[in-house]
Amino acid sequence: MIHDPPPFFHRGPSPLARLTFFSLVAIAIMIADHRFGALEALRLSLSVLVHPLQQAAAAPAAMLGRLSDYFTSQDRLLKENQELKTKLLEYAADAQKAQLLATEQKHLADMSPGRSRYATDGVLAEMLSYGRNPFTRKLVLDKGLSQGVQSGMPVIDADGVVGQVTAVGTFTSEATLLTEKDQAVPVMLTRNGLRAIAVGSGKDGSIDVPFMPVSADIQNGDLFVTSGIDGTYPPGLVVARVTAVEKNAAYVFAKITAKPAAGVDNHRFVRILTAKRPELPPPPSSGDDKRPVREKAPGRARPRP
Amino acid sequence: MRTPADLTPVARDVMKLPAGPGLIIGSLLAAYLFNALPWSGWLLLARPDLVMIVMLFWVIHQPGSVGQGLAFFLGLAMDVNDSMLLGQHALAYVLVAYGAQVIRVRILSFPLGEQTLHVAGLAIGASLMILLLNLLLGADFPGAAILLSPVIAAMLWAPISGILYLPGLRRMRRESAS
Repeated sequence: MIHDPPPFFHRGPSPLARLTFFSLVAIAIMIADHRFGALEALRLSLSVLVHPLQQAAAAPAAMLGRLSDYFTSQDRLLKENQELKTKLLEYAADAQKAQLLATEQKHLADMSPGRSRYATDGVLAEMLSYGRNPFTRKLVLDKGLSQGVQSGMPVIDADGVVGQVTAVGTFTSEATLLTEKDQAVPVMLTRNGLRAIAVGSGKDGSIDVPFMPVSADIQNGDLFVTSGIDGTYPPGLVVARVTAVEKNAAYVFAKITAKPAAGVDNHRFVRILTAKRPELPPPPSSGDDKRPVREKAPGRARPRP
Repeated sequence: MRTPADLTPVARDVMKLPAGPGLIIGSLLAAYLFNALPWSGWLLLARPDLVMIVMLFWVIHQPGSVGQGLAFFLGLAMDVNDSMLLGQHALAYVLVAYGAQVIRVRILSFPLGEQTLHVAGLAIGASLMILLLNLLLGADFPGAAILLSPVIAAMLWAPISGILYLPGLRRMRRESAS
């Protein structure tokens, strides 16, 4: 007791002790977040706290955007209108066919219990900004938990899949782009029904299709749509078009590169598909892999081809 | 009447008067707003981390009120803001705050120019740590612009110090006038 400093010098634990304590807590938080995804609640509550600040910071840019919208020239609007009309006509035939198919499908679905496999419900979301994480590109969308958005839901635009919701706040959510590294989507070739996994390459906005044998029947220009076997993406959404097939007999697998069909980089409005996916049967347990499948973002756990 | 040229010697006197919690919280909020602007592309990579600089300022000039605890929570808030793995900014900020606490007296004995160099060291350390952590976690190197961020942040040390000295300066003038 004699060695204790007098009370007016008392300053709590030493800086080094504090450093050790806080570093250990920070590392524990990182491990908990990375390995177990256990801190969604903490992130959510913090994001509620900082949401007004982010809103305030985004306000000037949003206002500018609205202003420029307001002053959009008549000319451009007319042109855009014309383009949209053309597109509508192009899609009209497909839509009528889809109606017929939907009726047929409904008949079939009525016979078997369970929900529709196809994408029906969704919310329209406006893109607020790109995420500020310099290591992965994400879209910040203006719909969140309060609009029924949940982690793992697919995000599409008029032309195809854009990505997947990977984090939700109360009023906003974040979607990771299809083209991000390790972002996987189970796909199917429309031409011959060949199934594959499309994985974002993380660079120059392209998608890789790994683990396809050299003998696989894939050609330039083939279209990949979601196969729906993962229970996350509904089947039939357009994903990407093959741009390069490199077959080298020296390797076991062909090198296949595809370009996403959706305007992954240029959209302001997207649709979040909120339909509940049907319950999948539990995956068969193999001897070596006893870890439970992470619920956080189903598409990110790279499924085996 | 003092000219702006000899701001530094004044400043060292000024900070003997403690700043109010309003100024500390206000400046940190303003810095957070700056960081939360909708940055994108290479601007995002080169974005100077103002929250860290302002935090450093208070750790150095007001070690009684701002320390590693606040640094930790600011870091968590930045992780949420940048939607990164929780804890990495917290770790970086705590390390930087510790570094600042250790070399605090030394930094204060220098004029702003030399202070900038010390701050640059701390800022580069923090950036490198976050970069390395993300590379370890499997991210790709995002681009050379990310190396600019700590340099710009350090260059903002002098102007930010100037701005944050001002309220104290005004108060001192008022007190010396009365």
